[in-house]
Amino acid sequence: MAEVRYEQASRIYPGTPPVMAVDRLDLAIADGEFLVLVGPSGSGKTTALRMLAGLEEIDSGRISIGDRDVTHAPPKERDIAMVFQSYALYPHMTVAQNMGFALNLRGVSKETIAEKVTEAARLLDLDKYLDRKPKALSGGQRQRVAMGRAIVREPSVFLMDEPLSNLDAKLRVETRANIAALQARLGTTTVYVTHDQVEAMTMGHRVAVLKDGVLQQCDTPRTLYERPANAFVAGFIGSPAMNLHTVPVSENGAQLGELTLPLPRATTANLTEVTLGIRPETLRLVGPEEAGFKLAVELVEELGADAYLHGRAHLGDSDQRFVLRVDGRTPPTIGQTVNAGLRDTGEIHLFHPGTGERLD
Amino acid sequence: MATFAPPRPGPMTPGARPPAAARREAWQRRLPLTPALLFMIFVTQIPFVFTVIFSFQSWNLVRPGSQHWVGLGNYANVFTDSAFRGALFTEIEMTVLAVAISMVLGIGLAVLLDRKFPGRGIVRTLLIAPFLVMPTVAGLLWKTTMLDPVYGIVNYLLRLVGVAPVDFVSRFPMASIVTVLVWQWTPFMMLIVLAGLQSQSGEVLEAARVDGAGPWTTFRAITVPHLRPYIELGGLLGAIYLVNTFDVIFMTTQGGPGTATTNLPYYLYQRAFLGFDVGQASALGVVTVIGTIAVASVALRMLFTVFSTTEGRA
Amino acid sequence: MTTAAPASPADTTTPRTAVRGPLRHLLRTASWTAGAWLAGLVFFFPVLWMVLTAFKQESDAYTTTPHIVFSPTLSQFKAVFDSGIGPYLANSALATVLSTILVLALGIPAAYALSIRSVRKWRDALFFFISTKMLPVVAAIIPIYLAVRDLGALDNVGTLIVLYTAMNLPIAVWMLRSFFLEVPREVLEAARVDGVTLRQEITRIMLPIVAPGIAATALICVIFSWNEFFFALNLTSVRAATMPVFLVGFMTSEGLYWAKLAAAATLACLPVLLAGWIAQKQLVRGLSMGAVK
Repeated sequence: MAEVRYEQASRIYPGTPPVMAVDRLDLAIADGEFLVLVGPSGSGKTTALRMLAGLEEIDSGRISIGDRDVTHAPPKERDIAMVFQSYALYPHMTVAQNMGFALNLRGVSKETIAEKVTEAARLLDLDKYLDRKPKALSGGQRQRVAMGRAIVREPSVFLMDEPLSNLDAKLRVETRANIAALQARLGTTTVYVTHDQVEAMTMGHRVAVLKDGVLQQCDTPRTLYERPANAFVAGFIGSPAMNLHTVPVSENGAQLGELTLPLPRATTANLTEVTLGIRPETLRLVGPEEAGFKLAVELVEELGADAYLHGRAHLGDSDQRFVLRVDGRTPPTIGQTVNAGLRDTGEIHLFHPGTGERLD
Repeated sequence: MATFAPPRPGPMTPGARPPAAARREAWQRRLPLTPALLFMIFVTQIPFVFTVIFSFQSWNLVRPGSQHWVGLGNYANVFTDSAFRGALFTEIEMTVLAVAISMVLGIGLAVLLDRKFPGRGIVRTLLIAPFLVMPTVAGLLWKTTMLDPVYGIVNYLLRLVGVAPVDFVSRFPMASIVTVLVWQWTPFMMLIVLAGLQSQSGEVLEAARVDGAGPWTTFRAITVPHLRPYIELGGLLGAIYLVNTFDVIFMTTQGGPGTATTNLPYYLYQRAFLGFDVGQASALGVVTVIGTIAVASVALRMLFTVFSTTEGRA
Repeated sequence: MTTAAPASPADTTTPRTAVRGPLRHLLRTASWTAGAWLAGLVFFFPVLWMVLTAFKQESDAYTTTPHIVFSPTLSQFKAVFDSGIGPYLANSALATVLSTILVLALGIPAAYALSIRSVRKWRDALFFFISTKMLPVVAAIIPIYLAVRDLGALDNVGTLIVLYTAMNLPIAVWMLRSFFLEVPREVLEAARVDGVTLRQEITRIMLPIVAPGIAATALICVIFSWNEFFFALNLTSVRAATMPVFLVGFMTSEGLYWAKLAAAATLACLPVLLAGWIAQKQLVRGLSMGAVK
């Protein structure tokens, strides 16, 4: 068990021009923490994980595990275990051999290996399959073998690279819960990579959002949701995504159609425009007499209790799309024009129109 | 891009790796290549250098002491040698015919075998047998039991339909040899084309059917383009092996009658091992190699294209 | 083959095919089967005939009307063995097995190196290997002959082993490389995380995974070495001569006794034929140097 620390760690992929896959990453992961690295494809999240694994060189900066600097240590000296997206099981070994391989390499006695493998197999419900080859297993079982291989090692850090992406939707939700429970039980520091923000929000103690190799924000899921550090994080976290629109700033505040949103003076001083971030649940339908903006309904997604309304508003001189959450029992129909207003002006996020940084 | 500070090995870096170690590892991974490379250079390239040297000499093995420099004399002889030109044409004719016919037959057989039917595995097993037969035996077999004017099976069959017996090997030597080569190489073409057919995605074929394409249209518009690299590969590899045809000629016609079936390898063999004319044979060899390089460089480029399309990761 | 699912809606909408379908389908399958079997038998016939002839008396072999029914005899095989086929078989086996082992010993490390991207200019190396295969053998035979002669290595199985190794190595390297490339990179990385050394990575992960590929490569080498004729003819005479050379000598010394020849030919072909049949799945891959899976 150990804490993990990235200090200005960078990875440059050679080429013309060279690409900063991970750009001066600073990240401290506490002992026993479940940290999720999330971002769109190409954000450098997997590269960051592989740097920690020792599978990717670190071109500058350093990485430490516990109090050891492992920046240039080969993978086997890092005391880590990794679960790969493709599981990477050894095709020529049985489940038991797959799980015991690392211990075998370290010269652990046969009895001890058998004992630990059996224990892990019981934990993962794999006891019946110990003599099978990976080929003869289902996707879910393979995934569990990959987990088992990591557990048996009793490493100080678990690394998981999108371990659920090859499972079907139902199994994914189930396994998600199992992994989280397992990690809580073992208390092993875990770094988990995913592109799925729902996975990130539900599993991680903290979530680190990456974009273009740069860390955007690292915080608890709640904070990411409530106080996104910039427009990118705001748009990435939450489903459906936050409505982000850049609107003009007037004397009285930001102008959203006929709706004037008062802004704290200090934050928007010297700005003629501001990027508003409004979550779908912050918007609501209002009567024609109330202050709001007109929205042409283009699509209604009914989810039962709620419905999501996708519409187009004419703001200034351009059309802008909005999503809002409405009551699932009486949703408007496509083609209707509705009036949209706010539930609470306090829930609006303000971002700098140029840099996207949070204002306040 | 900005420059970045090189990795700073801290005071507590037991795992830090100096560049020398990285270099050693790179060598560790490159080293395994060297024995094979050296072996190939030693056995194939050095002899060729000597071939080039000998080609500027006049040297007959049966007359000791005859070795002396003659400059380009041997080459002059090569280009005025009508037998060489004849052998070249024979070579081209033989290779092109054998490759083309076995390819056409191979495609036909592959299409037949692409479908499930009772005993498919057995038929496939039977079909590949000719390719596995020793070429020496293949030549012998066809010359005797199949094409013999009196006792051969083919003439027996011809007699059944009322055709007078034919001495195929002496009357149609080229056709006889091409027949043997086609018999041996059709299975090869079939295997490669069959692999191509079976690598076709079923979904694409179904999509074509849903789009309203009949079997023939599907074959022409979808299957044939898909097979193209396989056909190219089969033809190319077949040609690489077939230009070296020697055994079958040796066993059936011995290059004759006259020089009707003397291809380049056989001609060279005659000059070197029957005529013992080292200089002349070497010059022939060099000219052959230069010709082959010209053809092969085109072929190799093709080969790489095929490989890079069939290779997942490279 | 293809799934049956898409057919069901068609059945309900077009009953005509539903009624006529089964019969037509049966006829089609029957004619297809007949055609394929016929083609298979036509191609196999010469081989079959050779084997049959090997079991005949000479009087049954030399007939203007082929004898399909005859009383089989082993006397031709006995005659072949009596005429001293033993050393030739031994030479062939020795040259084949040892050259194949040598090819694998040289080829496996080389292919491994070439399957790793860090080897710069791997294309050049591959290009070199394959180009040696494209150059006509005859272009180098004269100096090889002279060198072998001057070294006193004419009529020596060792010479054949070296030459067969050179003949098969390029194919083997290409083939093996394609097998190595198929080992998923993530599996190797998993092994590295599990703590393998480079040596263990090769012996405990790579080699076991590519073992079937190595077997296929060996098979191809065996086929080509066993059947090789040109070198054997020109560089051996008595002591080191192999099976194809034996056949030629047998033909000239015994005259054209077909049944006896067929027996000798059958023996010459048998090992490769059996090996090829057993490993037919790997054959395509080997013949295409790994390009076709």
